[in-house]
Amino acid sequence: MKGRSPSVAEPLDPLIHVPVRLRIVATLATLPAGDTLTFTRLQEMLELTPGNLITHLRKLEDAGYVTTEKTGIGVWSRTDVALTKRGRAALDAYTEALRGLLGGL
Amino acid sequence: MNNTYKGTATADEGGGLDPRDAAKLLEQTKRQARRAFDIESPVVAVVGAGVFLFGYGAAWWSLRGQHPEVPALWSLGVLYGLIAISAIVGSVVMSRATAGVSLSAEARRQNLARSIAIGSAAVGAWVVEGALRSLGVNFEIVYGVFGPTVPLIAIAGAAAGAFAMQQSWLQLGAAVGFIAVASLSTFFGPAGAWGLTGLGCCLVLLVYAGALVARERRA
Repeated sequence: MKGRSPSVAEPLDPLIHVPVRLRIVATLATLPAGDTLTFTRLQEMLELTPGNLITHLRKLEDAGYVTTEKTGIGVWSRTDVALTKRGRAALDAYTEALRGLLGGL
Repeated sequence: MNNTYKGTATADEGGGLDPRDAAKLLEQTKRQARRAFDIESPVVAVVGAGVFLFGYGAAWWSLRGQHPEVPALWSLGVLYGLIAISAIVGSVVMSRATAGVSLSAEARRQNLARSIAIGSAAVGAWVVEGALRSLGVNFEIVYGVFGPTVPLIAIAGAAAGAFAMQQSWLQLGAAVGFIAVASLSTFFGPAGAWGLTGLGCCLVLLVYAGALVARERRA
């Protein structure tokens, strides 16, 4: 068998290797570094419920992959989400690991 | 060969996600996000092509056989009306693409610098146009040759500089195409300046729109 087998390949980051979180990180990574996206637009793009998105964002935020910042009060409030350098690096590493795995399959 | 990756994520979160499916999902999500955030719309380019074809075309039509060869006021009304329509279409596309996106401070500074560069190039060219008229240069040169070409060359030149810095090759190509078409058309007098610039820039924008569509399909 050519290349590396799945069992010896770089492990896929379990935090990203979940469909919803993979889509969150991939969407945010499309923006230039430093740009932020509102929670509402991210939710619309991914077609998720607010609760579901919050749950996954919290896990990514705990790992330092994304930052969330709430501004304003009441109906004027908005939450901005951004991918951190660490999150971007994690996605790059995940993509590389995926390439390694698929090369070995 | 076992194609199923046994990841460490829990099964209820989709930890059994096959690497092939993950790769597909990653590419699909990136492609959709790029389209959603993309402000370089083929539609806007086609609308711009229409502005050049019909706006510049109206001016060319109105000045044929006239002495002096300057465009009629009605044709300039058509031109500026079409420019206004294309600006509205462009702003709608832009606001849809950038809804919910906040630019970084650096990106905002870059946008401001680009706007100043392009704006000052345009204003400078129009001021020179006014100065030429006040110095007694004839109508045909000022409104027939200079008017449709030099401000366009100045704006395209400033934009080309910004695109070159960003390594935006398609946009840079379109800007250079504008400069080539507008500058060469000045050899053909007022009718050539309006007619050839209109036709040439229309073609440049149609090629640009086609290139955007091709790039979107390749991605």
